[in-house]
Amino acid sequence: MALLEVRDLSVTYSPRDSAAVRAVDRVSFEVHDGEFVGLLGESGCGKSTLGNAVLRLLDRPAAITGGTIRFDGQDVTTTPEDDLRSLRWVDLSTVFQSSMNSLNPVITVRRQFADTFEAHSDALGNDLDVDARATELLEMVSLDRSVLSRFPHELSGGMKQRVALALALALEPRFVLLDEPTTGLDVVVQRDILDRLRVLQARLGFAVLFISHDLGTVMELADRVMVMYAGEIVEDQPAAEMVTRHLHPYSAGLLGSYADPRDQVVEVEFIPGRPPDLSQPHAGCLFQPRCPVAVDACRTVHPELLPASLGQVRCLLVEQSGDARVVLEKAAELRRRDQVFAAGLSERADAEPVLVVDGVSKVYKTRRGLNTTLTQAVDDVSFALRPGQVTALVGQSGSGKTTIARILTGVERPTAGSVRFKDEPVDHLGRGALRKYRRHVQLVFQDPFSALNPTRTVAYALSRPLRNHLGLTGAEARARAAELLETVGLSPADQYLDKLPHQLSGGQRQRVVIARALAPEPEVVVADEPISMLDVSIRAEIIALLDQLVRDRGIAMLYITHDLLSARLLADEVMVLNQGVMVERGPTLDVIAEAKDPYTRKLLAAIPRPGARDIA
Amino acid sequence: MLYFVRRAGFFLATLWAAVTLNFLIPRLQPGDPAQAMLNRLQGETTAVNPAQLEAIRKLLGTPDGNLLSQYWDYLGAICTGHFGVSYSYFPYTVTAMISSALPWTLILVGVTQMLSFAIGTLLGAWAAYRRNSRVDSVITLGSTFVGTLPFFWLALLLIFVFAITLNWFPDGGGYGGGSSPSWTWLFVSDAFQHSVLPAVALLITGPIGWIIGMRNNMVQTLGEDYARLARAKGLPRRRIALTYGARIAILPNVTGFAIALGSLLGGTVLVETIFNYPGLGRLLLEAVSNKDYPLMQALFLFTTIGVLTANFLADVTYGFLDPRVRRAEAV
Repeated sequence: MALLEVRDLSVTYSPRDSAAVRAVDRVSFEVHDGEFVGLLGESGCGKSTLGNAVLRLLDRPAAITGGTIRFDGQDVTTTPEDDLRSLRWVDLSTVFQSSMNSLNPVITVRRQFADTFEAHSDALGNDLDVDARATELLEMVSLDRSVLSRFPHELSGGMKQRVALALALALEPRFVLLDEPTTGLDVVVQRDILDRLRVLQARLGFAVLFISHDLGTVMELADRVMVMYAGEIVEDQPAAEMVTRHLHPYSAGLLGSYADPRDQVVEVEFIPGRPPDLSQPHAGCLFQPRCPVAVDACRTVHPELLPASLGQVRCLLVEQSGDARVVLEKAAELRRRDQVFAAGLSERADAEPVLVVDGVSKVYKTRRGLNTTLTQAVDDVSFALRPGQVTALVGQSGSGKTTIARILTGVERPTAGSVRFKDEPVDHLGRGALRKYRRHVQLVFQDPFSALNPTRTVAYALSRPLRNHLGLTGAEARARAAELLETVGLSPADQYLDKLPHQLSGGQRQRVVIARALAPEPEVVVADEPISMLDVSIRAEIIALLDQLVRDRGIAMLYITHDLLSARLLADEVMVLNQGVMVERGPTLDVIAEAKDPYTRKLLAAIPRPGARDIA
Repeated sequence: MLYFVRRAGFFLATLWAAVTLNFLIPRLQPGDPAQAMLNRLQGETTAVNPAQLEAIRKLLGTPDGNLLSQYWDYLGAICTGHFGVSYSYFPYTVTAMISSALPWTLILVGVTQMLSFAIGTLLGAWAAYRRNSRVDSVITLGSTFVGTLPFFWLALLLIFVFAITLNWFPDGGGYGGGSSPSWTWLFVSDAFQHSVLPAVALLITGPIGWIIGMRNNMVQTLGEDYARLARAKGLPRRRIALTYGARIAILPNVTGFAIALGSLLGGTVLVETIFNYPGLGRLLLEAVSNKDYPLMQALFLFTTIGVLTANFLADVTYGFLDPRVRRAEAV
């Protein structure tokens, strides 16, 4: 008997003022004792909703509208909250996504352990030594016992998430649900937590349902991987099988978005389009509109999740043809035509630098009472940006990347060194001159969700820089805004001009942010992790867009990232920053293939290579 | 520790600024208090004799000299507790006037404010705990409805029904005619009778802000990940509501409450005028309408000091209640 058994589970969101959305649709799966199962899917596919449903933590307007959840043989689908309490945490615990917010901010870590033990004193007995047990748990995640008397805000993001993990294991549960447990943490910290998780799981033998959008991590950690799309499970295979013999076209697309940046030629795929609107009924296969190999039948027949290979898959083509491999190879051919972005060895022409950074340092002063602490954020950094070229700036959080971006855009002034734009020094500009200068240097932000004013239309967002920098108003500005939207691939532009940001998908929003940066016709664009918040399947699309803009418009771009794969795809030159010092620089392939700096090597190790485990 | 020192420094600096403003503002107003007093003494029509005017000025101790020396005298007077003679209640001193009015306001408004806060916070927390239930609807809709009624209208309604029609309570004043303030049983029960209607009026409208604030804050904290995690941990519902909901949701209200207590004086003008209550609010109104500068200044000063002290206390308690603030300030 399986430990967790989910049958035909449906979850529907029925908000008061809009149509009901079936976020999870007749999902069935099992998790066995000690098994590590990955649940992979992109934002909005229903994976977190499914997780919350399993934990019975759904809040209105979401509710389970069908199916059953059995835990250890016991049906818990409708068990009242009071009866669930004896099961919670003792058998079934969880780690949430936002490490920032899953600990109570006003009580110490010790109290958070203590109230867990108190709530289950009937199972544990009253004579438990809270400190001793909590210390033991913290040691499992390599935290010192001094953490016990601290408040959550006194811990770093990684430490908080380790506390959350220790807390999840406090009562030695049989099942732990991990919902994107490392999202938002620095790559190196992520690595550390996941490695520890795997060791602990092997030692303590609990079963895991690991929810993530990060394909590489899931493939690496899990025994079995389920892929979720638009509220349904579309494929369920052992991890090794998923890497080499995945069957569903969506899985193929996801896997295709990764590649080894050290290869001579790097290719990544993307899946065009966006997931269907789940408040509308759909007759056929939900993936059909984005599927490169869809046939007519896909439009009308909804495929079932049927056994295939070593697992299950939901695809008509696999269902119909005995040999699915042939179909999918054809799909790969088809896709390659226009949905692939490749970075080869082609060199772009050298040109005169447009922006030169010479020996720039920045020291921050922090005053704490009478003591003044100096922090050297950037230490003697020099580089040049050339038109039509992309320079990637790679480094850990806190390495000074953002400070450099702020110095380039004139937000900060360097403590030493100079920044020249063409022939003009720009590091100590006054207010008016700075305003003129900013026309030439524009920013693309990381988070497309907060970079646009939620109450203003796309046309308004684009008209601001047009008015401020080019003096365009009214119909003229609108026409130019439409042109800009076409440039970034939002076509026909009329459809988008009057939309509000929340009506657009993440990828579309990021395109609007890019269009806004292009509006004043800048010569330099600073892109600060422009794809890190986007879904994997559309990242390559945005990279392709940035690449094309740089080439066509002769823009000099500084691309800030910690993702070496995207740096490899986009950049001509890579600079690696460590604690404010430039430790490596050179042509992209050279730096990546022969990384010397320990941080660069860690970053490389952190890039998922789904196929690598097979080869090794 | 640094946090508290910093708060104290901030408190002193604001206090000085407030004291200075309090000195300047009445002097920038048009009108002459001696003139006003003469008018009152003689009736509006009689011509004013300049010599009389001068005599009254001497009598009242109107400050001479330039602003700077006035300011200096003023600071000295404040430090020694001399606020001068009241222009309108001559020959009583300002200190005497205030100390006779202060206990009335302090007891009536102070007690109702604290009760309002307690009732409001409890009701708000209850509504949030039973979110979307009937209890929540009744509390939220009820308080929103009562909140739309003007205070003076409610007060007049109370007077009309309970004082005039039913004649259960007196219709105004702090105590019955003929008796004078003393600590006798008779007087205290009389004063209590007089305070019932104004207190009820204040208690009807007072908790509304706290109810709505507390409910909204707590609905939000209960929706946070830590509250969800507490549920997943299997903590009892009540415990989640208290430690993970109310405990965090009450924080912004603590500041609000301290400020409300501090600005007690400003809020009492209306209620004391309607109920003809012998407190600070009515005194302030009279001081303003009679251009009684010394009294006005002293009252304003008290208000300012009240608000600032309350703020300071709020900051200090906040520091104890919310560990995040201590840290953020120290860095």
